[in-house]
Amino acid sequence: MDFTFDEEQRLAAQSLRDLLTDHCQGSDLRRAADARDLPSFETACATRRARLAELGLTGALVPAEQGGLGLGVVDFVLLAEEAGRAALPEPLIDVEGVAHPLLAALVWAAPGELGDRTLQETLVGSALVLSAAPAPGAAPVRSAAPGTTMLANAAFAQYFLLGRSDDELALYRASDISLTHRESVDPLRRLSEIALTETKPIALVTGSAAASAWQAARARSTVLNAAQLLGLGSRMLEIAVAYSLERKQFGKAIGSNQAVKHSLADVMVKLEFARPVVYAAAATLAPVRVAHAAVAAADAADRAARAAIQVHGAMGYSWEVDLQFYAKRAWALAGLNGGRSAQFLALHQSLLRGELEAQWA
Amino acid sequence: MAIDLQYTPRQHALRAEARAWLEANVPREALPSYDTAEGFEAHRRWESKLHSGRWSMVTWPQEYGGRGLDLIEWLIFEEEYYRVDAPGRVNQNGVFLFGPTLMEYGTSEQKSRFLPRLASGADIWAQVWSEPQAGSDLAALRTTAIRDGDDYVINGHKIWSTRAVYADWGFGLFRTDGASERHRGLSYVVVPLRTPGVTVRGIPQLDGESGFAEIFFENARVPVANRIGDEGQGWSIAMATAGFERGLMLRSPARFQRTAQRLIELYRREAQQAAPIDPGVAATVTQCWMDAEAYALSTYMTASRLIAGGSIGAEASLNKIFWSELDLSMHRAALAILGARAELRGLGGGEGSALAKAADEATRWMDGFLFSLAGPIYAGANEIQRNIIAERVLGMPKG
Repeated sequence: MDFTFDEEQRLAAQSLRDLLTDHCQGSDLRRAADARDLPSFETACATRRARLAELGLTGALVPAEQGGLGLGVVDFVLLAEEAGRAALPEPLIDVEGVAHPLLAALVWAAPGELGDRTLQETLVGSALVLSAAPAPGAAPVRSAAPGTTMLANAAFAQYFLLGRSDDELALYRASDISLTHRESVDPLRRLSEIALTETKPIALVTGSAAASAWQAARARSTVLNAAQLLGLGSRMLEIAVAYSLERKQFGKAIGSNQAVKHSLADVMVKLEFARPVVYAAAATLAPVRVAHAAVAAADAADRAARAAIQVHGAMGYSWEVDLQFYAKRAWALAGLNGGRSAQFLALHQSLLRGELEAQWA
Repeated sequence: MAIDLQYTPRQHALRAEARAWLEANVPREALPSYDTAEGFEAHRRWESKLHSGRWSMVTWPQEYGGRGLDLIEWLIFEEEYYRVDAPGRVNQNGVFLFGPTLMEYGTSEQKSRFLPRLASGADIWAQVWSEPQAGSDLAALRTTAIRDGDDYVINGHKIWSTRAVYADWGFGLFRTDGASERHRGLSYVVVPLRTPGVTVRGIPQLDGESGFAEIFFENARVPVANRIGDEGQGWSIAMATAGFERGLMLRSPARFQRTAQRLIELYRREAQQAAPIDPGVAATVTQCWMDAEAYALSTYMTASRLIAGGSIGAEASLNKIFWSELDLSMHRAALAILGARAELRGLGGGEGSALAKAADEATRWMDGFLFSLAGPIYAGANEIQRNIIAERVLGMPKG
């Protein structure tokens, strides 16, 4: 039993933080958010994209025998937290944390020249692969609308991993997918509605192999989203504290008032007790831990957003402060993978079935 | 080493050993409340029993009757302890607050004088800190211990001293420099509670029992040898104690995980009855399970960090807020589920009619609820903890 990260894990997170400190400040985000069209958005993000590509994280979660780094989710969770802290617009977490290992699973289950080549192209070349898990019919997952699939950053991808149900995991070229741009409340999430055409996929896995691959992908995505929410919440807390020191009323910093202090202290309590849950979920990927992580992180980020906006007063309700980028990302992420509601319900149902025992009982 | 949430074979073996001993030795019937004369002595005997199995202070070094367990091993022991609903620790403050303080600041003579008797339950210790005008603002304390030859002469009034009604000794903070103010001029002195000049008067709590007391000192004399650490060093020693108390060892996660488990059992049983349960309460039950788990995971994380050489800081205040609110929330949910049964007082034993059983069950939850109301107050009120977090961790200005 040792619940500490190792040096390598911490250093990797630190190097991402350094990069994002240089290239993903509020002003950088604002430039991207103000972009009028896709090309100018890409221009606004170009330097950061190039730097991210140099980080050496490509294939981080792909098994070493398939050309990846062979890391686990626990090695990646601090990186996801950093991506959240910076409200990173690029899909680093969606690609390296979810899509790449899913693609590797597909290639493993259905070896074939085209799939293999795609894996190489995405690992070595600059091809971008994204995945969107099917919304299972019976599960309490609330999708945007029946039969629709939304995916952020889809406009930039060359390949997609999709399925009409959990029994199907298919690899498509972007040219075979129809995308419709949809606006997100988060101006940095370039959202598209995805429609499967009748085209034959490049590679296909069906049955239980597909189902278990999707299940693993969902767990990774849920944990890593929770980690991003943790990072977003921590950042919003920092922004709120900084503003409370700077803003003066009645001749003193508003942060010297207990009402403000206690509100932000409570945010910290929420964040710090979500943190070990997220880390334990990343280390074990146990379904109950993963669901718990999703709920705890969503609640903590929500509390952080709410308190941070309140501390900013009228400024908090304005487009002018950068706080909005972090709050809006948190609200968007909190609804993914079934959202807080589905995860909480899953926990409650486990409880009713008598499955929630303390780990030691 | 990367994160590894599996127990080692050694940890499994410790768990098995603790489980076997506890199952063989824990009293079959719950002991009477340690806030009664009879219950206090029954709990003292339990401390002695624990000591005979070397389970009374597992984190203490072996030379003082402990097992030298690390914090993760302590968590495992506590999990086993709460698993069998073993009696509350009447010497809690001695074991977790005074003992570690003495080991760090006491002389070898003081250690051999106090630690063995503390370990065996021969001496039960109470904390003697607060005063009528010095609660959250502890540095406002006024009780003096003025040196007279080889003695200190103590005068003043202490209050809210837990277990002091029947305890043998108190450890406290006194003003040894009568002209001093605030944090200066304080010393950490231990006082026998049955000695001339010391009057202990119980204060009935919400449950009607005298779980805490006020203590009047009128020219009470204690030897200078009863001072722990240097004269005037009391505040920093006391703050070290406060760190232990709020930090990790006052409330182990197992306690709350066990309560959460009981709440879930209650909820599942009642959910099968005809009368539906308010969905808000149902959600609270799930939230309580989550929070008890979160506290456990957080404590394992902190313990791992401490074992790796880190120190306890802000998490002390975060912990205090989190577990005290969780405890309150769990008991409130249970009372909501019990509905009209919640107010019933039982006679213990749970024998006979269904109503007697229901009354005993309700009493356990109600007594737990009443005690949980104290959680956000003792060991530094939660408002003070929030100030500490805001000022010392978040860097917000003092108000």
